[in-house]
Amino acid sequence: MKQAFRGLRLNKTNTALMTLGIIIGIASLTVIVAIGEGTKKSVLNRIANLGFGPDAFSVYAGAGRLFFRKAQMPTNLTLQDADDIAALPSVRIVVPRQRKRLRAIYSRNNTSTRVYGVTPPWQEARAWNVADGRFLSDQDMERKSKVAVLGATPARNLFQGIDPLGKSVRLGTVFFKVIGILEEKGVTESGYDPDNRILIPLSTSMSRMLHQTYLHSIRIQVLDPGQVSKAMEDVTALLRQNHNLSSLAADDFRFVTPQGIMEWVNKQKLAMNRMLLLISTISLLVGGIVIMNIMLVSVRERIREIGIRRCFGASRMDITQQFLCESVVVSLFGGILGVGLGWGISAGLKYMDWIPTQIDWQPFALSFVFSTLIGLLFGIQPARKAAFLTPEETLR
Amino acid sequence: MSLIEMQSIIKSFKNIGFETQVLKGISISIEGGEYVSIIGPSGAGKSTLMAIMGCLGRPTSGMYSLDGEEVESMNDKQLSRIRNEKIGFVFQAFHLLPGVTALDNVMMPLMYCSEIPKDATERAKAALQKVGLGHRLHHTPGQMSGGEQQRVTIARALINNPKIILADEPTGNLDSKNGAEIMKVFDQLVSEGRTIILITHDPKVAEHSNRTIRLKDGLVEEDRYHETVQKHEAGISGPAAE
Ligand SMILES: Nc1ncnc2c1ncn2[C@@H]1O[C@H](COP(=O)(O)OP(=O)(O)OP(=O)(O)O)[C@@H](O)[C@H]1O
Ligand SMILES: [Mg+2]
Repeated sequence: MKQAFRGLRLNKTNTALMTLGIIIGIASLTVIVAIGEGTKKSVLNRIANLGFGPDAFSVYAGAGRLFFRKAQMPTNLTLQDADDIAALPSVRIVVPRQRKRLRAIYSRNNTSTRVYGVTPPWQEARAWNVADGRFLSDQDMERKSKVAVLGATPARNLFQGIDPLGKSVRLGTVFFKVIGILEEKGVTESGYDPDNRILIPLSTSMSRMLHQTYLHSIRIQVLDPGQVSKAMEDVTALLRQNHNLSSLAADDFRFVTPQGIMEWVNKQKLAMNRMLLLISTISLLVGGIVIMNIMLVSVRERIREIGIRRCFGASRMDITQQFLCESVVVSLFGGILGVGLGWGISAGLKYMDWIPTQIDWQPFALSFVFSTLIGLLFGIQPARKAAFLTPEETLR
Repeated sequence: MSLIEMQSIIKSFKNIGFETQVLKGISISIEGGEYVSIIGPSGAGKSTLMAIMGCLGRPTSGMYSLDGEEVESMNDKQLSRIRNEKIGFVFQAFHLLPGVTALDNVMMPLMYCSEIPKDATERAKAALQKVGLGHRLHHTPGQMSGGEQQRVTIARALINNPKIILADEPTGNLDSKNGAEIMKVFDQLVSEGRTIILITHDPKVAEHSNRTIRLKDGLVEEDRYHETVQKHEAGISGPAAE
């Protein structure tokens, strides 16, 4: 062991190069794991922010992928569908919604936000109170009033300390009177801001904003959590009938449920983990090959030392051990520095708000195991080469 | 049985297809306590013979037994143990570990003992004191003169108390004064009862021994016993400074 350290100290350049190889491998492994964990957490966070209890699910217009769809808004989910769903015996609350990303403007300030057309039961379904003013009322719905309830973020960005109540904000081309402010939920750790939203009456959204009556989604709350799957079956049958789908046609809508989201997350996680595995294997392999090459060079450079040790009683075993020890020490050292560097980079990415990252114990355990393995695996060949030189040859 | 017993030792090297015989059948026996010098022209096979004596290489054919043990049948581990316990090497080119202190260099053979002695450091210090280097314990080879380095290698050869000292031209890289100092150390070792086998080109160095073996073309040309020069007038060129 002591000999190993000495050998490493004497061959500083080689040691530095080998350490660098491992540092890069382990650092990228660490960053990759951190990004993986961070993304997972951010997705989970986002889901938590969809505000599903065990008794709620949503039906979205259009079939296909759950999230991150690019296709334009599908036009097949209607208010009629929402009313029919509300008539199902197991259903307690139904909230039909329209949605659009817009620029909100007040005086000289403007901010990008999500505008939702919703019905008054939204508040009960989300259990989200107003901090100031009042929520949308049935009267607002009937009159198609141009009124808006602001989330905390647009309220702050647009009004900057002034009381927003009663003021007029412009959403796209239409002016709305602010009647209420939602309680602030706070930005999640992953950077998702649930407060960045503005609510307007669904009727107003249909006639004055989107100029069409198709819905983005319908949120459904059942009477009892046990009835969720039954309700989903009923809703499926109902929508297929309403949309005149033949028994061969696929659904033109999709459900978003807590379980569905979990499945989706797990699928994403699996795909991501596979990619992570590939990338880190490659980077560690590169690090290992660097170690092996430099160790082989170092064996050649240190032939004399090996010969001297052999003369005074070092067996092949002793020489093998010495070189193995060196490569393990180097890779462990590189592993420690690598985790440190990776940790720094991950923290930086998070701090700069580029990529969500999350550091747990895994990178530390992984790098410990992997760097030891690399040291052994790629050290064995040079070590054996060193040991099988005969002392006679080495001292010529 | 003699300490070193060699019979018809042949050593040949294969180089791309054709074989050269370097030792062509050497039979020597050396008793414990003898002081033997091996001389002969360059390329005669002196170093090759010494490598075989020191269990650094195996003969192509022939019988070699050392201290009653047959060497041919031994595995690497057993050979390493013999080198560790019974033989101490001294080389012309010193062969010290670079960048390592004299103390650690001298201690190195002890690290390969089957059980590392607890008093390794003390023993190394004592060995260095014995060769007159008590004041150079923490110098690296680069910080020492040739004579000092060669004395470190002698301390290293002695550390594990071996029966046999094998020295390949120990004075070859030294000036006459340093060479004389080294020869004095060897004379003292013989008086302690160690066996010394010394390769040299210098007839004056060979005079220190009591037996001279002359090699030529891989064969023993001459093997004679002779008088040892008096220790107090020993020296390569005139009396050694005292
Ligand atoms: N590994 C080897 N492969 C091929 N030839 C070798 C090998 N080792 C030694 N020889 C040859 O064997 C011969 C004897 O070499 P050796 O080193 O024993 O000579 P020497 O008597 O010690 O000479 P010197 O006095 O110059 O040291 C030389 O011709 C050398 O070229
Ligand atoms: Mg020679």
